[in-house]
Amino acid sequence: MIWRLFVVVAIVSFALVFASLAIGYTEQQSLRPLAESYVRLVPHALGAPNVITGILLNYRGFDTLGEVAVLFMVAASVGLVLGAGRSPRGVSTEDRSDEPRPSSEIVRSGTEILVPLVSIFAAYIIMNGHLSAGGGFQGGAVIASSVLLMLLAYPQYQPNLEFLSITESAAGVLFVLAGIAGLVLAGGFLDNRILPLGQFGAFFSAGAIPLLSVLLGIKVGCELSVILEKFRP
Amino acid sequence: MISSIVLITGLLLILIGLWGLLTHRNILRIIIGFSLMGTGTHIVTVAIGYVRNGTAPIIDRALDLSEATARAVDPIASALVVTAIVIGMAVTAVMLAFAIRLYDSKKTLSIDAFTESKW
Amino acid sequence: MMELIGSILVLLGAIFHFSAGLGMLRMPDAYTRMQAGTKASTLGNTLVLAGLAIHHPGWSLKLLIIVYFVLMTNPVSSHALARAAHGIRIPMAGDTGIDALRDARQKNGGGP
Repeated sequence: MIWRLFVVVAIVSFALVFASLAIGYTEQQSLRPLAESYVRLVPHALGAPNVITGILLNYRGFDTLGEVAVLFMVAASVGLVLGAGRSPRGVSTEDRSDEPRPSSEIVRSGTEILVPLVSIFAAYIIMNGHLSAGGGFQGGAVIASSVLLMLLAYPQYQPNLEFLSITESAAGVLFVLAGIAGLVLAGGFLDNRILPLGQFGAFFSAGAIPLLSVLLGIKVGCELSVILEKFRP
Repeated sequence: MISSIVLITGLLLILIGLWGLLTHRNILRIIIGFSLMGTGTHIVTVAIGYVRNGTAPIIDRALDLSEATARAVDPIASALVVTAIVIGMAVTAVMLAFAIRLYDSKKTLSIDAFTESKW
Repeated sequence: MMELIGSILVLLGAIFHFSAGLGMLRMPDAYTRMQAGTKASTLGNTLVLAGLAIHHPGWSLKLLIIVYFVLMTNPVSSHALARAAHGIRIPMAGDTGIDALRDARQKNGGGP
């Protein structure tokens, strides 16, 4: 009874605060000075048509590095929590057999058609990060979803965890090395002018941004695949 | 007008997630409540960055280079939300791992069974 | 005139999505809820994209590819979910008559 009263009081007070926020909101007429300088600088100085990717991988590059570190820590902690010996869960013994039960034919046929499509689409999203909407994180998540599809359709499928861990660590190390190369050869950490800027809007342009997108995509994809693999019984 | 609708939707999602978080007894529903609150916060952050009659801050056929600063939407809000979505998903993965371990120890998914830390 | 038809199609799609949500709330057990959620929302998706194709005829090919992808993935995923739910023995509603998957599994001697 006390708990319900507390819940109602909490929800009503939050609703009052949010209502005052919503009533006092007016749309912006023009960009704030910092945002305007980013929108002006990214196509001009970095040569990337996508302003958001230019911000994420160059002007706010430290946030991206921190996010990479957070993802690595999450993969390690999921491996720690779920990795130790677990007792069989509450399903009755006649359902547990030594062989995992094979999946149905519909799921297998759908997977055979979908996995190549999804993988090509993931590569397209990663490589188009600097030209249109996309980038490393989005493409990495789509790679992990294709691995999840394989895990669902073929229960005997064992992705090579050592290969995934080594690839993920190598991609992370190369990402930091590219940042340090930007520090040594060009303006600052994760500066993309270490590679030639090229023509605006071409496929190989905007300096090191495609390279950084590819490294991020590989790292995020391998990390999420490792996390998904740990959740299997 | 458009961004007001999106803002109110985001704030409503935060309230619904908070209510579900506080009311349910099943661990998985509490985790869904956390996820809903995160999604609502992302929607509110994107809605705040809207500029009147603006379009996406990507230079292509819809937005020319010369009029970019006049018609683009705030890019910083979208960049922050990209980071926030990935981290929200990672936190959900850790919560689900903990839920699996809790179920292994007590064979039930209700949080009323875990009373060791209560006074 | 064409824009009116496109807008009516989008509105119909939204009504189907709403009925999907309503069905997921009101249905008695997990299997009927999955059925309501998948069928109605797939049709709602198709109608909304068809209405959008009438508004922007230049996007028709891309929208057709999206409709194909939705039709490939939605039924497969709900099929996998329903089989998994049957595998861990989620109870059916009280007045269920036939359980074809259980009969087929018993006939096959516990196969898939």
